Amino acid sequence: MNESQDPTALKQAALQEIQEAGDLDALQQCRVRWLGKKGPLTALLRSLGSMSPEERKAFGQDVNAAKQAVQAAIDSRKTELEAAALDAQLENERVDVTLPGTHGPSGGLHLLTKVTNRLLDVFQSLGYDVVTGPELETEHYNFSALNFPPEHPARDEQDTFWTEDGRLLRTHTSPMQVRYMEQHKPPFKVVVPGKVFRNEAVDATHEAQFHQLEALVVGERVTMADLKGAIQEMADALFGEGTKTRLQPSFFPFVEPGAEFAIWWTHPKTGKEEWLELGGCGMVHPNVFKAAGYEGVTGFAFGFGIERLAMVPYGVPDIRWFYQSDLRVLDQFRGSL
Amino acid sequence: MNITHEWLAEWVPNLPSVDETADLLASLGLPVESVTRHDGPPPGVLVVDVTSVTPIDGSDHLTLVTVDAGEQTASVVCGAPNVHVGMRTAWATPGTTLPALGVTVEAKTVHGQASEGMVCSPKELGVYDDASGLIALGDDVEPGTALADVWPAATVMDVELTPNRADAFSVRGIARDLCAKLGVDALDPTRDLPPVVAGSDAGVTTRVDDPAGCPQLVVQRIDGVAVRPSPVWLQARLAALGLRPRNGVVDVTNYVTYELGQPSHAYDLSALDHEGITVRAAKPDEPLELLDGRSITLHADDLVIATGDGAGQPVGLAGVMGGAGESVTSATTNVALEVAHFNPVRIRKAAKRHGLHTDAHLRFERGVDPDLPPLAASRAAQLIAHVAGGAVRSHAAVEGDTDVRAAVPFRPSRVAFLMGFSVAEADQRAYLERLGCEVDATGADGWTVTPPSWRFDLKIEEDLIEEVARLHGYEHIAATKPELDFTPPERDATHRALRDELVAAGHQETIAYVFTGADEASAVHAPAPHVYLSNPQGLERSALRTALYPGLLRAAAQNQDASGLRLFEIGRVFLSEEHERLAVLHAGRIDGAAWQPGETASFHRLKGILETLAERRNARVAVVPADPDEFPMLHPGVAGRVIWNDQDIGMIGRLHPRVERHHELSETFVLEIDVPLPAGRLTIRELPRQPYAERDVAVVVPDVVPYATLEAAVMKAAGPHVLTVFPFDVYQGKPLADGHKSVAIRMRWRHPGRALTDAEVDEHLQSVIAQLQADGYEIRS
Repeated sequence: MNESQDPTALKQAALQEIQEAGDLDALQQCRVRWLGKKGPLTALLRSLGSMSPEERKAFGQDVNAAKQAVQAAIDSRKTELEAAALDAQLENERVDVTLPGTHGPSGGLHLLTKVTNRLLDVFQSLGYDVVTGPELETEHYNFSALNFPPEHPARDEQDTFWTEDGRLLRTHTSPMQVRYMEQHKPPFKVVVPGKVFRNEAVDATHEAQFHQLEALVVGERVTMADLKGAIQEMADALFGEGTKTRLQPSFFPFVEPGAEFAIWWTHPKTGKEEWLELGGCGMVHPNVFKAAGYEGVTGFAFGFGIERLAMVPYGVPDIRWFYQSDLRVLDQFRGSL
Repeated sequence: MNITHEWLAEWVPNLPSVDETADLLASLGLPVESVTRHDGPPPGVLVVDVTSVTPIDGSDHLTLVTVDAGEQTASVVCGAPNVHVGMRTAWATPGTTLPALGVTVEAKTVHGQASEGMVCSPKELGVYDDASGLIALGDDVEPGTALADVWPAATVMDVELTPNRADAFSVRGIARDLCAKLGVDALDPTRDLPPVVAGSDAGVTTRVDDPAGCPQLVVQRIDGVAVRPSPVWLQARLAALGLRPRNGVVDVTNYVTYELGQPSHAYDLSALDHEGITVRAAKPDEPLELLDGRSITLHADDLVIATGDGAGQPVGLAGVMGGAGESVTSATTNVALEVAHFNPVRIRKAAKRHGLHTDAHLRFERGVDPDLPPLAASRAAQLIAHVAGGAVRSHAAVEGDTDVRAAVPFRPSRVAFLMGFSVAEADQRAYLERLGCEVDATGADGWTVTPPSWRFDLKIEEDLIEEVARLHGYEHIAATKPELDFTPPERDATHRALRDELVAAGHQETIAYVFTGADEASAVHAPAPHVYLSNPQGLERSALRTALYPGLLRAAAQNQDASGLRLFEIGRVFLSEEHERLAVLHAGRIDGAAWQPGETASFHRLKGILETLAERRNARVAVVPADPDEFPMLHPGVAGRVIWNDQDIGMIGRLHPRVERHHELSETFVLEIDVPLPAGRLTIRELPRQPYAERDVAVVVPDVVPYATLEAAVMKAAGPHVLTVFPFDVYQGKPLADGHKSVAIRMRWRHPGRALTDAEVDEHLQSVIAQLQADGYEIRS
């Protein structure tokens, strides 16, 4: 019996070759060569027919054992080679996770928009409608309909930008009180955010252009206690449940009785507890209802500046920063409130 | 208004501490803006008489002054122009520290002369702001007295007065409110003083030609006065308020202004023609020289004080400022004290017209108690006689009459109705009466309340409700929720969704000024302003913006350091009407990390933003090439009109290089469109059951042919079942001829009910090709 007919020798030669197969292709060739139809082990099985029964049994067992050993070696080598290939692929696909990510500018809302949105969230959750109105107004809506008599010093409290055609830039969001009443029927609750304008000397705390939020609630029997309640709800939402609020008598021509309102809070920079004077409020003056054509209702209104609510809590040192579009400033406003 | 706690304490019994007083005032609607301690003169300063004044050789202004301090005399070098023998003034003895100057006075040699200490101006003493000469003291203090002992410190409270509270523009007014709140009677020093009475002994003639402008005029004559510096108590009181003492007569008029709230003016009787005073309307273009040296030309609506029967020159702009010539001087012996009530609107207009802003005008335009002149004249005359000597005439000249207040109907039940708290009727009545109202509670339907003459702001029931609430205390207002049957409509009036989408797409929101100028508009080719301000803050802020993009350009220009910009603003522009708009700006490198190739701003990137906005709203958007000169701010080759659901809503494009150069910007792209952006209807379509069939065609066309033209041609010929048509490749370069591009277009068809056969689709494709060729385009194979 020569070597090519010795199953053990063939097995040894096959195992040697399988071990040396460097990749899955080479391994596949091994399989074809040693286990394929033309392979030497298959040829040995074919030669069984010419053997005696005793010989056939023993030899057959040897050949089958060799075949199984070769198959096992191929399977094992295949697993090894697949693992190595995956390792190579993974190594190949490595990226530098420390390089910066791909993106354009992050974008962001203006701080004044964020503060306004927060306020609108509060009022919308309390069931208020939200509307906006014209910035270029008439004397009628800005003053006369709001019970500012002609030539009254109360008009001087609001330095006004007049236009050459006799209109004006609204000095407060209150003109929308009358405009809204003209277009809606009571009862209602509405807030009006928007730009307002005052012809004042501009400095770190005064701007010719700023923002206000106005609230108006009208119904058959709305009281000043409801006004206090609305301010309390706003304070609770903005500064936490149980925040102290205060009303003190004041004067605005379009309300009577009138008041100023303040919120007791802890100044975030100084840590000092103090009253934060926010704005004006009161019960809608009968003359305003008259101008809007309303009868037999009561209502309250309040309004305040947005800039102050943005500047004090977030430590913005200069009101002009809001309008200078300096990205070094705007970038800092991007965080959530 | 400034008021001192000490003066208030003379009116309000048991006035609480400064802090408590401030809290009380705030609870009354008279908030205290600030509290300032006004120190008196420092210790070591003595009252002295000047006994000799000798010029010093070699100096043109210094004198050697001998001062007599009673038990001691001293020589002091002095540079004050007003020093004279017999003057009573203040001497800082050596060793005295003057905090206002920050120095300690020493004995030293000046110009070769021994100078012991220093004679002082009011500013050096820190008592009021006048450094023009030595302080002139009245003869109520003896030489040798320590000035600090007779010139008290004061606590100045700056009370903020709302325009309705003209009645609180005086010590008496504020005391009245405090006393009403505290439920005590004021210690009024004028309480027992009889008002002046008209009669034959007035010794002065008066006339009011314009009773609407001057409802009441009182002129009181005081004879034989000696005009000299005011006593120290009076000077100290005025100085604490920030007023500058002048002389006894003028100081008394200022004192009474602050004490009672009634301005008045003292004239030298000898300067008045025929010893007469007339109030009349000014003659057009009549000249008047004012107390402050300015000359004004009067207007026919101005109200003036004139001498004699009114034919003569005006001597004062009524209620605003006196004239230059007829004031009280040291030579004056007989004084005519004019106390009047003027129409607030006339005074306000006059002050505005002539650009004057005086204490008197501020009071008159808010309104002074119309019944006050007779009492104020009596009080001022009494004090003038006390301070400057002289005899008050037993009668005054009085023109016009007191005001009659209208009664206000008042229902006590309305307090609870409006305030949400109830106040016992007896308490309501007491509050109103303490404020000076007369209450008639006998009516069946409610009370009749007549407010006092000084509360002309109380006109309607709600005014009286506020008064009751004010005295009862706003702290009693509960916090409740109104019961309203109201559900707000769903709307996004502030464009929150749009803002959020733009931020999510990497844009920073900006807010620019609405102000612009004609120059800016023209420099960036924006529409010329439609609305100009009549009182602008400078030329570059003289008009209202006609577009938003100029503000974004300013922002881009000042953020040149940024490698890329994506900005937006939502705001209003002012053309023939006011519009709300969105503007977006892209410039520079807008995507990718610095180590990557990245992406720079481009027209189509910006258009992509627009298309995303449309898709999110289920709306159709198209950009059509702009007509020549339609958008002069845009590059003529990169300019489009934005059509949203068939509406023309604005523009998109690259800025014209001229505009870019104006702001030194590189390639910059802008979109500016009207908002809100209407959404299309959302209806769910059934899912298609049939597959679509697809064919491509490539066309070679000149560069100037827009894709939209090709698409239109394709759509026209593609048959009824065409689904979508879109470009999937645009190529320029070899082997195409210069100025040409190849556009590859993909078409999809779908039949709603069955699969289309290849033959059918090929037929459609052939129609498309035929159409394109008919339009003169070359088909690329």
